[in-house]
Amino acid sequence: MANPLSFFSPRGDTLLYLIALLSISSILLHNLSISASADSHFEGFDADEDLEDILQSPLSDLPRRSPPPPTTLSTSSDPESHHGPPHPQSDPDLDLPPKPSATTSSFDYWDEDEFEGFPTEIAPPESTDEAVELAATPAEPESAKVSEPISLAKRIRAYAIEITCVSFLIMFTINYFTGKKENETLALAWAAKFATRDTIFDKNFSLLGVSETDDSPLLLKEGQNVFKFYASGRRFCQGLVATMELKSRQDLIAKLYNMIVPCKDEITFEVYMNDDAMDHVVFALAKKKAAKAMQKEVRDLQRFSSLMTSAPNGRKWVADELTVITESKEVAGDLITETVLDQVFGEKAFEKFGKWFISMHFSDQQQSTHRKVLIFKFALPDVNHMADMTRLVALVPYYIDLIGRYKLSSQARSKTEAARSKVAQEVYKELQNARQEALQRKKAERRKMMEEAESKLNAEAVRKKEAKERARQLKKAMPKIKMSRGA
Amino acid sequence: MSSSGNDPRQPSSAKPYKPQPIHPDNLPIDYSGFIAIIFGVAGVMFRYKLGSWLALIFCAQSLANMKNIETDLKQISTGFMFAIMGMVTNYLSPARGGVKT
Repeated sequence: MANPLSFFSPRGDTLLYLIALLSISSILLHNLSISASADSHFEGFDADEDLEDILQSPLSDLPRRSPPPPTTLSTSSDPESHHGPPHPQSDPDLDLPPKPSATTSSFDYWDEDEFEGFPTEIAPPESTDEAVELAATPAEPESAKVSEPISLAKRIRAYAIEITCVSFLIMFTINYFTGKKENETLALAWAAKFATRDTIFDKNFSLLGVSETDDSPLLLKEGQNVFKFYASGRRFCQGLVATMELKSRQDLIAKLYNMIVPCKDEITFEVYMNDDAMDHVVFALAKKKAAKAMQKEVRDLQRFSSLMTSAPNGRKWVADELTVITESKEVAGDLITETVLDQVFGEKAFEKFGKWFISMHFSDQQQSTHRKVLIFKFALPDVNHMADMTRLVALVPYYIDLIGRYKLSSQARSKTEAARSKVAQEVYKELQNARQEALQRKKAERRKMMEEAESKLNAEAVRKKEAKERARQLKKAMPKIKMSRGA
Repeated sequence: MSSSGNDPRQPSSAKPYKPQPIHPDNLPIDYSGFIAIIFGVAGVMFRYKLGSWLALIFCAQSLANMKNIETDLKQISTGFMFAIMGMVTNYLSPARGGVKT
């Protein structure tokens, strides 16, 4: 069994993805750790302060040190003390209780006059303690409220951008892998239906796939949503390239965009006809709007053909939704055969199978590399319904044979010949003009270069002369130094 | 529908596949890479955090849509460098001193 898929694109994209993700997560972690450590420093500072209060009171030189026993007060007043003096009345009272312990070791620092009203102030500190506690408790929930929300809601708001972007990137990465897998499954399903052994392309072409050997992969992956299939070795044509352009399922942004602006999975068959196999045929078939756009945009259709409004001679013709663009009506009539109408393009058949058809374009005046090309464009059904487009795919070899064997009648040929010769003459004239312009430009350039060279030479010569003259004058001006050779 | 009777295949005329060379000027424009570079430059110059993040996202999109690894990688890596520069400037620069809310 041939290995269906050739992984043409390397794995470098996943590596880059991993590197990107790692760097982002490291930055985020670093960021969070910085802010977390900042907070802990803050808390540690408080704890240190409390410890110092309890253990090392000699250092209580700072005026607004709060007492340790009412610990509720410390948590409330410490932040407040950092911001400013909150309770000027209570603070001196609060300062006093630690002082007895301080005075024993550090009476150097404290004036004993301060402790005049001390016994009376044991009771008031208790009452003031209560008052401060009461005052503190409303303050405390506030501070508690202030300290906690910083950690949750406000922090989340602070990191809103980072959180949304990182989550989007994670979703993007997940979607990349799932979308890529989906596209591959779809392409493989198509290949399994139409390109493996005993399928339509195997029966029509001798060489399938990209490389020489038997085990070569059938599909060529050109991007996460572009797959190519090549077949060669058939009469009338040099080869066939089928390009599958699937929706960008691997790209989350494109996927969201495609939800608003609908998009289809498309497959385009390009058949390169042999030079002797195709007569003067310029023909296209598409749905009405698309046909009008094609006729205006595609060069060879624009030059040679026109929209065909009515069916010729009351024959059975294509469904109403379709429009034919052709150079000559006779050719169009010959190309839309009964078989085709019955199978695909007639009224009834088109209702069933028409939704997968996009356009069909035969031309022997194609402007790109190869001149004689048949182009078929179909939409791809989903994985489980690949068989729906069997009839459309069968059109490809049918038309290769039909056009390969088709010869125009003499009337039609004369008309087409006239049109083509006109166009050929115009093209020739354009070429001639272009050549003449190019020659003139070259001549002008050469002239410019010559003039510049001459002027340069002149300028240089003049400069040299001037330099020489100056050198001579300098020599004359300078006194002659006599040199004597030592022994 | 397919030609009946004789086998349409001609092994003698089989040609190996030659990928059609596309002129680099005719390549489709990589819009997302371009936008990534713009946002990246905006993020670095104006110290705009969202700019750097958007640059990273569009870089990722450009990577996802990359078709030809040799030609496209240069533009993508340029955008990626701008995005990372923007991240470093916005988050790790000492002048700001921590996270700006």
